[in-house]
Amino acid sequence: MKKATLALLLGCFMLGLNLAGAADTLSVSLVPVASNPPSPQMGDWLKFRSVIKNSAGQPTHGVVAWISLVQVDPGKEQPVDLEDWSAHKAVTKAVLRPGQELSVDWPMRLIQSGSYRVVISAVDRETAHVMTSPFVDFRVRRKPVVESARILPVALGVPAVILGLIALRRYRRRDRA
Amino acid sequence: MNPIALIARKEAGELLLSTRGLAWLLALAVIMSVLSLLLVSNTELSLLDNAQVVYMVMGTVTALGGLLAVVLGSDTIAGERERGSLLPLLLAPVTPSQIVFGKMGGQVVGWSVMYLLSLPYVWAVGSSGQNLVQSVVYLALLGTPVVLGFGFLGIALSARLRNVRSALLTSLIMLMLMTSPLLLGPSLRQSTIGKWFDALNPFSAAVNTFDSVVIDSQPLGMQTTRLVVALIWLAAMAALAVRSVRKMEI
Repeated sequence: MKKATLALLLGCFMLGLNLAGAADTLSVSLVPVASNPPSPQMGDWLKFRSVIKNSAGQPTHGVVAWISLVQVDPGKEQPVDLEDWSAHKAVTKAVLRPGQELSVDWPMRLIQSGSYRVVISAVDRETAHVMTSPFVDFRVRRKPVVESARILPVALGVPAVILGLIALRRYRRRDRA
Repeated sequence: MNPIALIARKEAGELLLSTRGLAWLLALAVIMSVLSLLLVSNTELSLLDNAQVVYMVMGTVTALGGLLAVVLGSDTIAGERERGSLLPLLLAPVTPSQIVFGKMGGQVVGWSVMYLLSLPYVWAVGSSGQNLVQSVVYLALLGTPVVLGFGFLGIALSARLRNVRSALLTSLIMLMLMTSPLLLGPSLRQSTIGKWFDALNPFSAAVNTFDSVVIDSQPLGMQTTRLVVALIWLAAMAALAVRSVRKMEI
């Protein structure tokens, strides 16, 4: 019985070692910078700062970290193509020594209104799974960009001015005659 | 007064002071108004869509400017011939070069008016979006050589084809061919022929620059090749117009 218990404990210990081997070698943090607007609207810039740290006892190689954005509005849940939001979508680092940190700023321009969740993912050559930062949620207020109040006066006013010029010209010609 | 300035003033006056010219401007303004009003229905446009809208307006303004330029250009020499005023003009103490430069001056005024007419529309659709100032600057920078090039092509054809109808029809076909990128999306222009057409077509150079600057916020340095294409087009059409007027037969 004692032997069986010992074997079980040893098994658990070995399993623990295996799990430790699959643990994250990189720790990734993500926070919005203090200068971000408190209630951002379309067109504003937001910046997020992440620190990617090698928390393992050995160097990691081929580190790649990238930003992902997901819209989380009810009924509109979808990943967002960052093409127009950010030109800074990923960073790479050839080697990250034990304890070494890589600090990265992720600026983005808010293109569309809605509720969003941003996350940084990182991989290295040694680890077989992706390591992620905590989520940061933010909401983008709508900003009407094509306003009828602005277009209507122009759309009606410009032709009206030209019509007025035509009428004035005809009136003057008739007056002369 | 300088004969060139005199002819340019007469040409500009026909556009700005005649009922016919003002009616053309009215028609162009109505087209831009309809386009703008169609955009009002969508108030949920994202910032990107707003840039897309500004890009559309800029492309439309350039195309309408080209249309106005070919109409004015086609009438310059052939119209004078059909109205019987070409011979008196040639007998006047002005050289053919002065005549063509004066007609070109009329084209410059025509495009300037069209450009000024478009600014309220560009402002109305783009003032709360991105790159409004760039829109205004690049519309002048790229729109001017492209539109004037079409106008000079119209003058050249007007001198060579001897009647307004033929010159106008040929100019319009050329204009439609070159403005086809407005109708064909970028994906349809990815074939080898499409890429060559895009690279050599001055209108493509203009709309691709508008796309690059307004939607993608790219700098002037990336527009150099397109700007060169547009300037070559302008220079080539100006040379063709001068040569055509000098060599025309009475």
